[in-house]
Amino acid sequence: MDQIIYSIVSVKKQHRELNALLVELKGISGADLYDVFFDDITAIVSNIHRNNVVASRPNIIEYAEVIETLSQQFTLLPVRFGSVMESTDVIIKMLGRNYAEIQSNLRKVENKVEFGLKVFCDPQNAGADTATIALLSSSGENSPDSRHSVYRNYLDKKLQEHRIKERHLAQIDLVIRDITDAFAHLNPLHKFQKMITAANIINDLLLLGKDKKRELVLAVEELQKKYKDLQLLLTGPWPPYNFVDFKII
Amino acid sequence: MHDNVIDRSKEITILEVLDRVLNKGVIITGDIVISVADIDLVYLGIKLMLSSVETMEQVKSGK
Repeated sequence: MDQIIYSIVSVKKQHRELNALLVELKGISGADLYDVFFDDITAIVSNIHRNNVVASRPNIIEYAEVIETLSQQFTLLPVRFGSVMESTDVIIKMLGRNYAEIQSNLRKVENKVEFGLKVFCDPQNAGADTATIALLSSSGENSPDSRHSVYRNYLDKKLQEHRIKERHLAQIDLVIRDITDAFAHLNPLHKFQKMITAANIINDLLLLGKDKKRELVLAVEELQKKYKDLQLLLTGPWPPYNFVDFKII
Repeated sequence: MHDNVIDRSKEITILEVLDRVLNKGVIITGDIVISVADIDLVYLGIKLMLSSVETMEQVKSGK
C-alpha cells in the first residue's frame, strides 16, 4: 500500500501528545494517520492507493486540516499535496538521507507562523488610466496629416502606457516600503510579489513569531487607515507553506 | 462588514488553502501523484512543479 505524506514534524519529547492527536485526526477519505520516525523527526502519513490521490476540493481541505491541526502543537514542514511513497522503509530512508536539511528548515520555522497580506486597488481607478490611453490614441485621427498621425498616435499611446506602468510600479514600491516599515518591529521575513493581477497589486508573505498576531493586525489596521483607496486583506496564521519550498530526495 | 465582502473573503481564503496545498511546501523527490476530479491519473515527473489544478487540466487537454 502506498503512503501519502502530509508533513514532517519535529518531535522531541512529545511522542505521547503526537500519538493522542493522531488518534483523533483523520486523513484523506477518513484514513487513519501514522507516524514514521527517524530520530526526532517524523513523517505523518496515511495509507492510500495512487489512483485515489485526487486533487478535489474535499481532499485538499482534509489534507490541509491535518497540517493545520498538527501545526498548532508542533513545529512542522508542510509537504506538497501528492507526495506518495511506496512503503514505510522508503520514507525512513528519505528522512535519514535528508536529516540535516530537514532539521535546518525546522529550526528556521520553529515557533513561527505564516501570514499573507494581499493589497488590492480599485479597478475603477485602473479604468481611468485606460480611458486616458484611449483618448490619447484616438486624438488626431481625423487631422489633415493623418498619414503621420497613425505612427505618431501609436508612439504616443505606447509612451503613455509606459509612463502609466512606471508610475504605477513606483506607487507599488512606495506601498511596499511602507509595509516593510510598518512591520519592522515584528522582525518578519517577507516575500513580496508585485502586480499579480490588475487589482491585486501586492502579495506579501510573512513569517513571524506565533505571539505577534495581535501586533500584526494592529499594524495592518494602521496601514489601512493610511491607504483608504486600497483594500488590505490579511490571512493567517498559516503553517509555513511558503517558507519551506525546498526539495528533498 | 457587508455580506458580499464576507463571502468574497471566504472564497479568497479557500483559494489561499488550495494554492498553498497544491503549490507550496516541501517537495519530496519521487513521483508526485495526482489526478484531477474525473480526469485520468496524471503522474508528474520529479522535476515538474504542479502549478495549479487549471494547469493540470491544460496539460491533460493538450492546450
